[in-house]
Amino acid sequence: MTAAAAVQPVLAAGAVGDFFEYAVRGIPFGCVYALLAVGLVLNYKTSGVFNLAFAAQAYASAAVFYVVRKEHEWALVPAALLSIVVVGAALGFLLDYALYRHQRTASPLAKLVTSLGLLVAMPEMVKLALGPGVKANPPPLWTVRRTDDFLWRVGGSRFVLDAGQIATVLATVFVVIGLTLLFRRTALGLQMRAVVESPRLLRLQGVDTDRVAVVSWILSSMLAALVGVLLAPLFAQLTSLDFFTLLVAAIAACVVGNLTSISGAFLGGLALGILQAELAGFLPTDSVVANGLRPSLPFVVLFALLLIRQSVRSARTVTDPLAGVDPPPDPPPADIRPAWMTTATRAFAVVVIVAGFALCAWVFDDYWVGLIAAGVCLAVVMLSIVLTTGVGGTISLCQCTFAAIGALATAQLTQHDVPVLVAMVGGAAVAAAVGAVLGFPVIRLPGIYAALATLAFALFFEGVLINLSWVSGGDTPLRVPRPTVLGTSFLADRPFLVLAAAVFAVAGVAVIALREGTTGRFLDAVRTSDTAASSVGINPARTRLVVFVLGAGLAGLGGGLVASFSGQANYSQSFTFFIGLVWLVLVITAGSRSVQAAIISGISFFVFPALLDRLFTWPVNFVDTNPGAPPWLLDIMGFFKPEWAQGVAFVLFGLGALTYAKHPEGIIAAQTSASIRRTVRFVERRRPAATSPSNGLDLEAPA
Amino acid sequence: MLAVALGATTVTACGNDWGTAPEDQGSPTTADSNTATTSGEVVAVDAPGVTDTEIRVGGVASVTNPLGGHYGDSFDGVQAYFDMVNAEGGVHGRKLVLAAKRDDKLASNKAEVDALLSVDKVFAVLPVATLLFTGADRLVRDQVPTFGWTINPEWEAKDGYPAYNMFGQSGSFLCFDCGTPTLPWLMEQAGAKRAGVLAYAVPQSADCADGVRASFDEYGKSTGTELVFVDKSLSYGPSDLSVQVSKMKDAKVDFVTTCMDTNGVVTLAKEMKKQGLDAVQSLPNAYDHQFLEEFGDLFEGSYVRTDFAQFEVEDKPEGLQLYLDKMEEAGKEPSENSMAGWLNAELFVEGLKAAGPDFSRAKLIDAINEMTDFNAGGAIDPVDWTKAHDQRKSDTRFCQFLSRIEDSTFVPVFSKPGKPFVCAVVTPDGVKTEYSA
Repeated sequence: MTAAAAVQPVLAAGAVGDFFEYAVRGIPFGCVYALLAVGLVLNYKTSGVFNLAFAAQAYASAAVFYVVRKEHEWALVPAALLSIVVVGAALGFLLDYALYRHQRTASPLAKLVTSLGLLVAMPEMVKLALGPGVKANPPPLWTVRRTDDFLWRVGGSRFVLDAGQIATVLATVFVVIGLTLLFRRTALGLQMRAVVESPRLLRLQGVDTDRVAVVSWILSSMLAALVGVLLAPLFAQLTSLDFFTLLVAAIAACVVGNLTSISGAFLGGLALGILQAELAGFLPTDSVVANGLRPSLPFVVLFALLLIRQSVRSARTVTDPLAGVDPPPDPPPADIRPAWMTTATRAFAVVVIVAGFALCAWVFDDYWVGLIAAGVCLAVVMLSIVLTTGVGGTISLCQCTFAAIGALATAQLTQHDVPVLVAMVGGAAVAAAVGAVLGFPVIRLPGIYAALATLAFALFFEGVLINLSWVSGGDTPLRVPRPTVLGTSFLADRPFLVLAAAVFAVAGVAVIALREGTTGRFLDAVRTSDTAASSVGINPARTRLVVFVLGAGLAGLGGGLVASFSGQANYSQSFTFFIGLVWLVLVITAGSRSVQAAIISGISFFVFPALLDRLFTWPVNFVDTNPGAPPWLLDIMGFFKPEWAQGVAFVLFGLGALTYAKHPEGIIAAQTSASIRRTVRFVERRRPAATSPSNGLDLEAPA
Repeated sequence: MLAVALGATTVTACGNDWGTAPEDQGSPTTADSNTATTSGEVVAVDAPGVTDTEIRVGGVASVTNPLGGHYGDSFDGVQAYFDMVNAEGGVHGRKLVLAAKRDDKLASNKAEVDALLSVDKVFAVLPVATLLFTGADRLVRDQVPTFGWTINPEWEAKDGYPAYNMFGQSGSFLCFDCGTPTLPWLMEQAGAKRAGVLAYAVPQSADCADGVRASFDEYGKSTGTELVFVDKSLSYGPSDLSVQVSKMKDAKVDFVTTCMDTNGVVTLAKEMKKQGLDAVQSLPNAYDHQFLEEFGDLFEGSYVRTDFAQFEVEDKPEGLQLYLDKMEEAGKEPSENSMAGWLNAELFVEGLKAAGPDFSRAKLIDAINEMTDFNAGGAIDPVDWTKAHDQRKSDTRFCQFLSRIEDSTFVPVFSKPGKPFVCAVVTPDGVKTEYSA
C-alpha cells in the first residue's frame, strides 16, 4: 500500500481528516521555526548567549550567497561553501575572538546587550556593503526550479511539498540528530556545555577552553549561515527584518526546550507550526477570535510558557563557582570623586546646560532645535530604561510599548478635550497600570526569562493590540495637540524644548532620588542577593515591582511628550519594537544607571544621523561645486554617499553596545572615572609629597 | 487637600494648542504677503523660496529607512520635468529648482519636513514619497502647497483636517474600506465568479479587505460575482498560506485579490501554483518591472492596475511619451515612483501658471483646486480637483489603467486607441464599461 493510499481514508473522515490535513500542512513551516529555535538553543547552550543577533548572522550569510550566486552567477556548490562554511565559520571565529571570549563570565545582561548591539549593527553593515536597491527573489539552495517542479505529492494533489520545504525538513532533522549526538555522545559536546558554566574549572582540568568556545561559535555561526541561505527564498526580498520576525516567533519554541534542549526546541517549533495551521483551518477565517489569536499565537504561547512552566520559574541562573576570583568592579565615579571636584563638575554642568539653551535660543536653526527637542522628549523614555534596567535590574524589552501606551492614552484623552499636560499624566497612569499587571508575574521570572516575557508582551502589542482601532485610532494616527499653560502656547519648537527639558529635569531628579534613596539601597541589596536581602526584611519582588511600575509610568509620560511634540500618536513612526531595541542599546551603552546617559542617548538618536548626513553630504557638494579640483581629490570625495548616514549611525550605535562587557557601568561613567583619576593624579602631583590621596582613591586602578 | 488644589489649578491653567484651529480653515483664498509690481517682465513675489530668478522647492522620500521603502526615484521624475520646463525658460521668468532632496530615514519624517520649511525655506514641497507622513500636520497647518505619492492617510482632507493644500499624483482621496465596482467589474470581464481576498491583521490592510467586501456587497449581484473567502488575520511577515489556499480551492475561488505587500503576494502565488489553484489574481501594487522580471512566471494572467497610463500602452498619450523621452534623456529608468514625481511636478507647474505672475502659495493652491480636468497630457484620467481631496472624483465612474501579465510582460488590456483608461460606470441597469482619454 502506498503512503497516499494509506492517507486517503483518514482524509475522508471529516473533522478528523481535516485535523490531520492541517497538521501535515503545518509541519514544513514548523520546521522553519524549529531550525531557528535549535540555532538559538545551540548558541545559548554553548556560549550562554541568548543570541538575538542570530537573525543578523543569518542575514549576512544570505546576503553573501545572494551576491555570489545571483549577481556573480557562481555555481551552487562554491557559492554555498563560501556563504555557509567560509563566511559562517569566519563570522563565528570573529565573534568569539573579538567579543565573546572576553565575556565568558559576564552576566546574562552583558551578553544579551552585546547580541542586541550586533543585531542593530550587523544588518546595517551588510546593507552598506550591498549598496542601494532591492535585493529581490533570493536564490534557493537547490537547483530544482522552484515554481514548477514539485517533488512529492501525497493523497492526490492535496499535499504538495516543494523543493524548499523538503530541504528545510531534511536540514532540520539532520541538524537536530547531529547536535543531539554531539552533545550526548562526544567529549567535545560535554566540554561545550561546561565552558559556559565555568571556563576556569574546565581549564583546571587541562581543557583548552578557548578552543572549545571558538568551535562552539563556529558551529553555531555556520548553523546561522545555513538557516539564512536556506530560508531566504521564503521572502520576496532579502531584508534583515524578515529574519528577525521569524526568529522572535521561534523563541517560544526555545522556551519549550528550556533554552537548552535541542529536541525540546525542535518539538516546540514543530508544535507551533502545526498549531498555527490548525487555527488557520478550524477558526472561521473572518472571525474576531481568528483576527486576535492567529497573529499573536507565538507570543501568547511564549508568554504562557514563561508564566506557567514550573521549570522556567525555578530556573537557576548559571554562575561560575570560581567567579569569586574576579576582581571587584570599578566603583562608580561618584564614589571616587573628591568633594571639590563634585562642586566643580556641578558648576560645569550648569554652564553646559545654560550654554545649550543659549545655543538653541540664538544659534541653532529650527531644524536642529527640532531635532534636539525631539531628543529631549525621547530622553524621558530613555530615563525609564535607566530606572527599570539600570536601577531596577530588570531587563525590559518593552519600554517602547509602555511609551506607546502612554502616547495613545494621551491622544485618546485629548480627543475628549482633556488638556494635553493632564492627558500626559493620565497616559503615564495607564502605562503604569499596564506595567503593574505585566510586572506582577514578570519580575518573579529569573534573568533572561524576564527579558523574554517583556519581549513577548512588546511583540503581542505590536502584532495584535496596536491593530485594534480603539487602541490606535485606525488608519490615521490620532492627533495630539501641543500644550498651553496660563495662556502661553508651546506650539513652537523652542518653547516646547524648554517644557520637555523641565519635564526631563523633574523626572531625572526623581530617578536620582529613587536611586540614591531607600528604594535604591534596597535594589542594590536585591541585585547582590535576593536571599540576603530577604533576610534583612527587604521584599525583593515588591521592590522590583515598584520600580518596574514606575518605569512603565515614566515611559508612558515620555510617550505622551513624544506624541505631543510630533503632533500625533504614531506607533509605526515612533514606538515600534525595533526602534525600542535601538533605544535600549543606546542607553545601556552610555550608562544604564545614569541620568546623563538618558539625555545624551535621546538627543543622539535624532542628532547623530543628521550630523552624519551633513558629513557625507559635504563631499558630494564639494564635487558639485569644484569640478576643477584634482581628479584624485574628486575620486576620494565622490566615494562618500549621503545615504550612508542612517546606516553608519546604526552601525556605530550597535558597535557602541559591544563596549558594555568591558564597561558595564557605561561609556559615560567609564570615561568620567578615567577623567577623575587623571585629574586627581594631576592635582596630587602638584601637592606636597606628605599629602595623601583623598578618600582612599586607588590611583593605579585601570581607567 | 494641597494635592487636590494643585491638580485643580493645573487642569484649569492648562489647555491645548492644535495649531491653527483646523475647523476654522477651509481651502485658503487669501494671498500671503505678495508685492506684485508690473514693471518689467518678472513680477516681484514675496514668498518663501522665490527670488527674481528662481522658485525653490524641496521634497522628502524614504530612501534609507531601515524599515523599508525605496522611493528615492520620485526625485528623478520631478527633476526631469523641471529640466524640461527650465529649458523652455521656466515659469513666470524664473527657473524651477529642486533645492532639497531629503531622506526621512528612521522616525525623522516630521524633522525633515520641518527642515524643508525652516532651513531650505522652499516655496512648495514636492515630491513626498514616504512610508510614513508625520510631517503632514505642519504642511496642512501652514498651508504649504504639497505634492506627492498618495500612500498615506494624511493626504486626504477630512473634517477638522483641511488638507486642501495636499495634492496626490491623481487625486488625494483615500478610502481603504470603501466599496467600488472596480473588482466585481474586472471579475465579470475576466469571466470569474467567485472571489477570495487575503489581508494582514493590520489596520490599512484589514480595512482594504473590508473595502473589497463592501465592493461585492454593493456590486456583486449586478456583475454576477460573489466574495466567498475572506481572511484578514494573517501575520505581517513570512507566513504559511497553505491552509488558506486549500480552503480557497475547496470554495472554488477563481479570482484572488490581496491587501498585502510583495512578500505576501509572492508567497500566495507560490502556494497557489503549488496546490494548482487556477485563479486569476488582481495585483493593486505590482507595476514594477523588477518585480515582473523576478516573479513574472508566478503571476501569468494576473491583472495589474495603475492610475496612470502604463509605459507599454501602444498609442501613448502625449504626456506619457514626454515622460519616457525625458527620462531617457536624463539616463534614468522609468518607474512608478518617478512617474508620480513627474505628475507632481506637472501639476505644480500648471498650478503656478494658473496662479498668475503674482503667484503665492495660497493662489497656487486655489488655482489647482479650481482645475476640473487635469490629466497631465493624457497620462492620467482627468482629475477634478474641486472634489478630489475628500471624495471620489465621481460617485458613479471609476477609471483605471489595466494590464495583464503575459510571458512576464505587462500587456495593456481594455484600452482603446486614444482612450487608454477603462471605467466601470454604475448605472441603474448595472455596471457598464466606458473608455476614457
